[in-house]
Amino acid sequence: MKIYPYKRLNRPVTLRVTSVSLKLSDGTRDQLETTAYSTQQQAVALGIAGHSDWVSATIGLSATLPPGADAPDAAWSDLRVLAVLTDGETNVRTSTDLTRETADGRDWSGSLEVLRDNHLGRASLAVHAVGTVDGVRGRSIAETDRNWIIDTVSEDPVRGLQLDVQKASFSRSAREWLHAYADVPWIVDTSARVPTVFVNTDVEGVLGLLDSSGSGLDSKVRDLLVAQMATDVWTAVFHGAIGDLEVEPGGGPVFPTDWQGDVLREMLPDVIPGVHVEEALRQVHRRRTGDSGWVELQTRIHYAAARRADATKALAYAIRSLEQMNRESEK
Amino acid sequence: MITQPNHVPERLALLATSAVDPFLSEELLKGEQVHGGIELAKVVEPLPEDDARWSVEPIRSLVDDAMFEFCADRTRADAWLAPRLHATLRLTRREAADKRLWNHIALAVAPDYVVWRHLPEATANRPERRVAADRFRGPADRQCFSRLWWAAELFRNGPDYEPVEVACGNQDLIHTVLRMELIDHRPTAQALVRLLKNGRVTTGREINGLSVAINTAGATLTYDALAADQPRDPVPLRKWIAEAETAPPVARHVLPEGPDEDPVPEESVTALTAYFADLFETAPVRGRKSED
Repeated sequence: MKIYPYKRLNRPVTLRVTSVSLKLSDGTRDQLETTAYSTQQQAVALGIAGHSDWVSATIGLSATLPPGADAPDAAWSDLRVLAVLTDGETNVRTSTDLTRETADGRDWSGSLEVLRDNHLGRASLAVHAVGTVDGVRGRSIAETDRNWIIDTVSEDPVRGLQLDVQKASFSRSAREWLHAYADVPWIVDTSARVPTVFVNTDVEGVLGLLDSSGSGLDSKVRDLLVAQMATDVWTAVFHGAIGDLEVEPGGGPVFPTDWQGDVLREMLPDVIPGVHVEEALRQVHRRRTGDSGWVELQTRIHYAAARRADATKALAYAIRSLEQMNRESEK
Repeated sequence: MITQPNHVPERLALLATSAVDPFLSEELLKGEQVHGGIELAKVVEPLPEDDARWSVEPIRSLVDDAMFEFCADRTRADAWLAPRLHATLRLTRREAADKRLWNHIALAVAPDYVVWRHLPEATANRPERRVAADRFRGPADRQCFSRLWWAAELFRNGPDYEPVEVACGNQDLIHTVLRMELIDHRPTAQALVRLLKNGRVTTGREINGLSVAINTAGATLTYDALAADQPRDPVPLRKWIAEAETAPPVARHVLPEGPDEDPVPEESVTALTAYFADLFETAPVRGRKSED
């Protein structure tokens, strides 16, 4: 909880995306369907129409201020509402002013330009209400409590951890570094831009199993396999993120600005329960770099990973299927 | 000290971080021996053939010139190389965010430069000299070449690289500020350079103190509202990139010109410079005596 030396609105601004269109390299525009964005997920997927040649996206926005923003006795004047787009990967920060929809309403709207050349993956969108308080311009009065995610690549408006799954014959791949791993079914690479699982097609039938659908035992085994992979991924990304932490001069560790930050925020409450994520990060960092406690923490990290991977559910269903199959064969 | 690998590729390529380790040997980090280059060439992913920007020669000749010119004072090479590397490579931010490109430059094209620039002097505590591995394949603000490119990108004022020279001339500034988010706001970057240039802020401690104060004040202030920036137009950058096809080598003695983008609005820089100067007056700075 931050303390502010002046009065603010105590509820957040709500933000909705109302339209998305792409400007293509031939100068034409493509108005995307409403499936390109999800209010529930607070995510926009610019890859949904399959264009690889877009230049910029125009995102229509509507923000609603909490009650009290225009109260006659408000502590601020010169109210402005700004949409701010940031991207930790490309160090982009751009902002645009929204305008009031009706003279006495709490809704503000406008549009934001997202340049394709400026982003590799995901950008983050927030809205700030600012005003002049006690003669100080630019004071922040309220903001959105959760950023929207603008994904410049994805075809699905979801905000969860992005994963890349690549299939390759480890022993014959053009990626020579995979040769060293030829005798295992999969490996996890967290040094790539998004965590990547390489599945080894040298294991005969693994692709067929992974692609299997339906309700038979095959699909239950597949789910179990996927849960196992996902546990590996979550464990690996957690360690990768913790190992790369930046430490502020004279201060504690800071959350990474890319997916690693998202992973840590999501897993830390399970790793160190009952404390704020900032404090949890400090504790984990201390344990890893300090004298003791890192080994003991491994169980918690594995627990957090297995929970996220839905391992229990996958195992239970697989066992159920086996029982059924055994029963049927005894008949 | 090592030289360039026997085999230096003709074209830039992408080198995945997971493929780097076999070439990042202890001998290389100590500056004793470099890989031959042939094996590394087998694990890279090629970039499009028809793009003049991926030619290695202009970059190789830049780093050779830098090592010759600044052999007596290698930290000064940063301010010279940053704008010239930026103007030679002509990348979009989207391309520059791909760490595989920087891995390739550091490992395949100019590992000798990385060692030359970043091999620390031996000290009593650390008698063994060894380059930190993240100078080869690390975060954007640590890796030898990407830190220079990003410094140039974040501190240039439209086509003008002069603020880059000023910023990179101060190791403390690029070391502390480059990794902070505050620098992503263009008027903030220009205001910092201005304080440095007019001598208001000089030492590492002062820069640290000021950047902490800016961050702290930023928790309640929206700098975007205080000092507006212009929306970016994607066309000038694209044009500049297309001109790479016919561009001559970058000038060695005068500063090159960047993409013809609009500079940061002057009134925003002026306003923020004054605001930061006020903040700095009262900021706690280690070692600074308060005057009253």
